[in-house]
Amino acid sequence: MSPSLVLALVTLGAPLAAALVSVLVPPLRHRGTPSAVLTIGASLLATAAAGVLVGQDVAGRAIRATVPWMLVQGRGLGEIGVRLDAVSIPMLAVVCGVALAVQVYSLAYMHGETHRSYGRYFTYHALFLFSMNTLVLAPDLLQAFAGWELVGLVSYLLIGFHFDRPSAARAAVKAFWMTKLADMGFLFALLLLYSRTGAFSWDVALRPEVAEAVAALVFIAVMGKSAQFPLHVWLPDAMEGPTPVSALLHAATMVAAGVYLVVRADPLFTQAHWVQGGMLWIGTLTAVFAALLGLVQTDIKRVLAYSTCSQLGFMVAALGAGSAFAGYFHLGTHAFFKALLFLGAGSVIHAVHSNSMKDMGGLGRKMPITAATFAVGALSLAGVPPFSGFASKDAILTAVEGRAGWIPWALLLATAFLTAFYMGRVLVLTFLGKPSAAAAHAHESPPVMTGPLLALAIPTVAGGLLGPWLARGMGEEMHLHLGLTPVLASVAALSGLTLSFLLYSRGREAPLAGAIAALDRASIVDRTWAFGYRGVLLPLSGVLRWVDRYVVDGLINGLGWGTLEVGTVVRPLQTGRTRDYALAVVIGALVLLVLGAWS
Amino acid sequence: MSGAELGFGLLAFLLVGFPAIRVVTSTDLVRAVLWLAATLLGTAVVYGLLHAPFLAGVQVLTYVGGVVTLMIFGVMVTRKYDGTTVAIDGTNRLRGALAALAFFGLVGSAVVRTDLSQLGAVEPPSTQDLAFALLDRYLIAFEVASVLLLAAIISAVVLARRRDPLPEGAEAPERVALREGSVP
Amino acid sequence: MTLRALLLVATALFATGIYGLVTRRQAVALLLSIEVMANAANLVFVAFARFGGAPGHPLVLFALAITVAEVAVGLALVLLLYRRHGDTLLELASEAKG
Repeated sequence: MSPSLVLALVTLGAPLAAALVSVLVPPLRHRGTPSAVLTIGASLLATAAAGVLVGQDVAGRAIRATVPWMLVQGRGLGEIGVRLDAVSIPMLAVVCGVALAVQVYSLAYMHGETHRSYGRYFTYHALFLFSMNTLVLAPDLLQAFAGWELVGLVSYLLIGFHFDRPSAARAAVKAFWMTKLADMGFLFALLLLYSRTGAFSWDVALRPEVAEAVAALVFIAVMGKSAQFPLHVWLPDAMEGPTPVSALLHAATMVAAGVYLVVRADPLFTQAHWVQGGMLWIGTLTAVFAALLGLVQTDIKRVLAYSTCSQLGFMVAALGAGSAFAGYFHLGTHAFFKALLFLGAGSVIHAVHSNSMKDMGGLGRKMPITAATFAVGALSLAGVPPFSGFASKDAILTAVEGRAGWIPWALLLATAFLTAFYMGRVLVLTFLGKPSAAAAHAHESPPVMTGPLLALAIPTVAGGLLGPWLARGMGEEMHLHLGLTPVLASVAALSGLTLSFLLYSRGREAPLAGAIAALDRASIVDRTWAFGYRGVLLPLSGVLRWVDRYVVDGLINGLGWGTLEVGTVVRPLQTGRTRDYALAVVIGALVLLVLGAWS
Repeated sequence: MSGAELGFGLLAFLLVGFPAIRVVTSTDLVRAVLWLAATLLGTAVVYGLLHAPFLAGVQVLTYVGGVVTLMIFGVMVTRKYDGTTVAIDGTNRLRGALAALAFFGLVGSAVVRTDLSQLGAVEPPSTQDLAFALLDRYLIAFEVASVLLLAAIISAVVLARRRDPLPEGAEAPERVALREGSVP
Repeated sequence: MTLRALLLVATALFATGIYGLVTRRQAVALLLSIEVMANAANLVFVAFARFGGAPGHPLVLFALAITVAEVAVGLALVLLLYRRHGDTLLELASEAKG
């Protein structure tokens, strides 16, 4: 077994082992800290292993090691294993690294929990890391689906972590069933693929219609997981989960899994031009729409949630334009700066005990490290050169311009402006100006929390440098160029930030903000989904429940009842009278004679 | 059917058949037992005609002498005390007749349709041959049969022995009057 | 006499026994019917020993022994029935009701 393979298995095995021990040994879990130690230890190992793998040059060489799965008549229906190449290794490193930072941060952030709760939290984290790595390292779509579903489950468990809060429980269920509904696309895609090719690989040449169908079905699941319009409504509600969870799952990694899947299955998607066209427009639309909604939120986490949604739209648009590299690059940079932003927000929330930006203000002086790192993250998100966000956004805009016409390009540029604008708003409302009553007593967070912030700030700043390396691994080229797009993008970013500073530091609101806020309150999409849930899904499940209770159970109960009835009918034959039994003997003998004669 | 067969049939009916019918139809239990003795004796005669003298003798000794005597005793001991002869009723006559006719029809038709001409008259084993066979080929069966008889004796004695005398003041079991024809 | 005639006679005898088995209400009468049936079966054995050379005679002897044993035990049971109920009608032995 090659060393690379061993390293890959470590990234899978360490978190799995940590999770299993925490699950199977309740005393450890109930004491809290042991689970945290296990999980963070596993993440350390995984990150180290991933780091070593990154250092290896796998351009052009892919390692694929599998064992058959679900053996039927000696042949496996599918396979499980590991695929190491220029696509899976970077993602692996991002996932493990961000997970480690988030978990260390959680040590302090979740300190207020009971021991049992603490242990449960870290157990879920270990499970998540294992599940996400299963998805990242998947050698075919079947294992990807398995990892996909598992992370969905862990997302449900973590969104509803404080399950005694009704809003959290509702949010968890909403996220789960919406994504599960979308996942049906993935399932049907698997079925279709298997029926046509007898396997689940994305590396196959398909007839155009089949490729379009499979890609479209997979993209439905991507829309759910990566919160694209109109399946985006679960993501803001998912902020009910603890902030580190929002950082890891609902910003950096899990929601990005949809984008990753499309990048991973690029050979499939490049055969589906119509689907790519759809992706371009849906991504663009989502980017604009979410950015507008992010502008009017008062809850700092919801701003970041809509921002995530918007940035995912960017990635999807890039993929739609045919540049898997651009989408993937942005996924990587976004993971770092968005996680940074969320953890920073968590730091602030921890200090003022509120999510609302109305309770914040003036925290720049009281929480310098948080403020500084948050600002770095915000600048990167806004796309200010030379931060990583600028490089990846530029790659996207260039790809879209080059391959998809000017309308999406213009819309995305406008969105870049909006992104800078709403982030400027957040900076002003949170860190500048006069502190609110709640913020008066705020103080900086402990090193266990600020450490990860600083750690994440480094790739946020310098991540752009890795772009060419990533591109080469994917068979593309990236060069920094001086052209219309990067200039316009920089202008958009800077002007957005400046304008928002000017506007919000004077306490004014943006034009049309009122209209957008009204739109947000109207929640047309959300209400439509709620209607679908309450009006369609629940009645349907009620019907099924009736069928289960009265038909299926009824059948079984009927059998029992029938048996008793037959017994009641037959019992009188046992009269107890000797002569009747003598008669029975004679009749029986006659019957035997008849049978013997007629056979 | 030939004349010889017909003649034999008549003989058999007189010797065996008619008494047997009286066994199952007589309303007086004592007479039924005596008719049984008659049919068994008749069968012994038939055995003699079939060149099985030893069996005829055994038949008379065991059945007529032993079994019938036992039956008489059984009847006497279980009679009602008021001295009338024991009456017995036949009910279910139709069912009985149907069952008997069905049986006779089935087996009889099988007998009639089978080709029995291959089986010629053979001299059955002599008494000496029979004795040797019992102690040679059928030794185990012979021993087992004796064990069986022993077991029967013991179980009959155990079943029928008197228990402890009835406690003071207890009554003898009462007579039970029953309805006619209580078969479902 | 022919084999066929003999067999038919035995069959008729057995059928008569069946009639008695189904019809009789009294325990001893039932035993009598059973005796008739056993007798018929023995007749068949002897018939085949005469026509066809089957080893019928030893079988008859054993059948005889078994029948005797059965009568002995049966009469003991009849005695018990009488002691319990004062009469030997078969309806009295109805405690094995379903």
